[in-house]
Amino acid sequence: MARAVAILKALAVAYRRDWTAFQSLAGNNFFLITAFLLGKAGSFVYLIFGLVLLFPLSTDPLRKIPPSRLALWPLERGEHWLLRLASPWINPLTWGIAALAIWGIGRSVTVGLVALIATLFAAVFLISAVPLPHGMGLWRRVPPFPGPLNQLIRKNLREILSTLDFYCALILSLAVCLSRILVPNLPREALLAMTVLVVAAMSSYAQCLFGLDGEGGLSRYRLLPIRGWRLLLAKDAAFLAVVVPLTLPLAPLAGLGGALVALAVGHSPAVEHPREQTRWRFSTGGALGNGLIQMVAIAMTASGIYSTTLWFLPLAAAVWAASVWWYGRDLERML
Amino acid sequence: MISCRNLTRRFGDFTAVNNLNLEVDKGKICAFLGPNGAGKSTTVKMMTGLLAPTSGEVKVCGLDAAANPLELKRRIGVLPEDLGLFDDLTVEEHLLLTGDIYGVPRAESRARTTQLLHALSLEHGRRTFAASCSHGMRKKTAFAMALLPNPQVIFMDEPFEAIDPVTAKIMRDLLQSCARHGVTVFLTSHILSMVERIADQIVMIRKGGMVWNSPVGELPQSLEDHYFDLVETPVVEELEWLGPSRS
Repeated sequence: MARAVAILKALAVAYRRDWTAFQSLAGNNFFLITAFLLGKAGSFVYLIFGLVLLFPLSTDPLRKIPPSRLALWPLERGEHWLLRLASPWINPLTWGIAALAIWGIGRSVTVGLVALIATLFAAVFLISAVPLPHGMGLWRRVPPFPGPLNQLIRKNLREILSTLDFYCALILSLAVCLSRILVPNLPREALLAMTVLVVAAMSSYAQCLFGLDGEGGLSRYRLLPIRGWRLLLAKDAAFLAVVVPLTLPLAPLAGLGGALVALAVGHSPAVEHPREQTRWRFSTGGALGNGLIQMVAIAMTASGIYSTTLWFLPLAAAVWAASVWWYGRDLERML
Repeated sequence: MISCRNLTRRFGDFTAVNNLNLEVDKGKICAFLGPNGAGKSTTVKMMTGLLAPTSGEVKVCGLDAAANPLELKRRIGVLPEDLGLFDDLTVEEHLLLTGDIYGVPRAESRARTTQLLHALSLEHGRRTFAASCSHGMRKKTAFAMALLPNPQVIFMDEPFEAIDPVTAKIMRDLLQSCARHGVTVFLTSHILSMVERIADQIVMIRKGGMVWNSPVGELPQSLEDHYFDLVETPVVEELEWLGPSRS
């Protein structure tokens, strides 16, 4: 019993230290917008918000202990059971669902909702306990690119595909595709708004381009005989290779312009204040100011291209190119 | 090929490397020995242009490492302490990346990659992502990356640690082959038996200062004994609570 309690205590400490799911939301542009829109939006935004929030929060805390270590500890069968049953209660979401269930007793409307959330939670909890085949994920099968930056771009693309930002943007993009099929005469303004939302969902990543490279990756960048602007170019090419297809069913040129200015603004925090990121979490950008500037720049550029003139696109490209050159020099100094 | 003159690096009040003077000739294998924290990695970082010296100078391939870091990087191969691998690239992709960045023609790069994968018994894991590789595979990948561009000087930070004996032998043979072809090798290691077999020159460092520099043939006693005499003497402490009769 004492052994199981000691393990649970250590688990609670480890879980608390790794409480990045909520922290990551704080610096994420999409959640700034969502929080702003929440009062006015319909159930769709609530649903996305709930899904993307639930996903990272529903993991099994017992996974923090490597299975090989757990197998080595001299624990009785009863202690294993105790760990299995007690460890989910380290996750605050379990308490939240329990509280919701108690609150919902006698309220017939909430029973279904509680059941839905509890089922989703249990499903993600169980899925997260299934060991995935190492390195075989579909998200790692990316195509080759022409030129000497090929492998760097592929690596960067894989990094982007291991963030929740991409999946959030993908849900939005797919939802609009579905809407266009079901509602053929979708208002033009709706397409623009959704384009801005998709680019915004990806824009926090532009503020932490080197966050998933790890110490090993940064060390390799230092060793490679390559100019800083080319490293940034490889990062940006991967970002555009994701954002442009996502905005294809929306307003692609407005999306491209928005993505270019998101990168131009994001280079400063990405290079000068690099933040380590966690895979399968939302990207955490720099200071709130960077996020706000990015959001305004994306919205203005996208609406300028979409509603006024296409000349905003080469302008955005010029600003982006200048930013790549400038922060590429900075990157050489920082590395 | 490598030349250090009064090389010093300070971090605040702490002097990591103090007044180091050193010459390594072309085609020689120089082993740089010392305990953890002695200043070995700091010295290698200064030699590879990753860290500017506080004072003094270091020249590699005739280039001032601090003034021409990019040109220097084109001429050297490095196996860094942390291996410097990307989790999202496979073993083979790491080697192809190296070829692309160092300007090795694509066909030649592919041929060298195949040869290196074969030589280091990495063929079975060529499509394994670095994040999923064993430590030995990761080390062999970083080793292959250092060799692929055919550098003039190779820097290796603890190349033989945590690898199996067969791989260690293969790596040793490859480094000796490099030296025979005129490539200079500068390595740090804690495995003194391996160093004794491979090195032409032994340099020992302690608390940032050089305490020995000679050809391996001029060591007055075995390398291990000499190391313990000059660098640090091992003290074995008795753990009285160990044993079946104690709780």
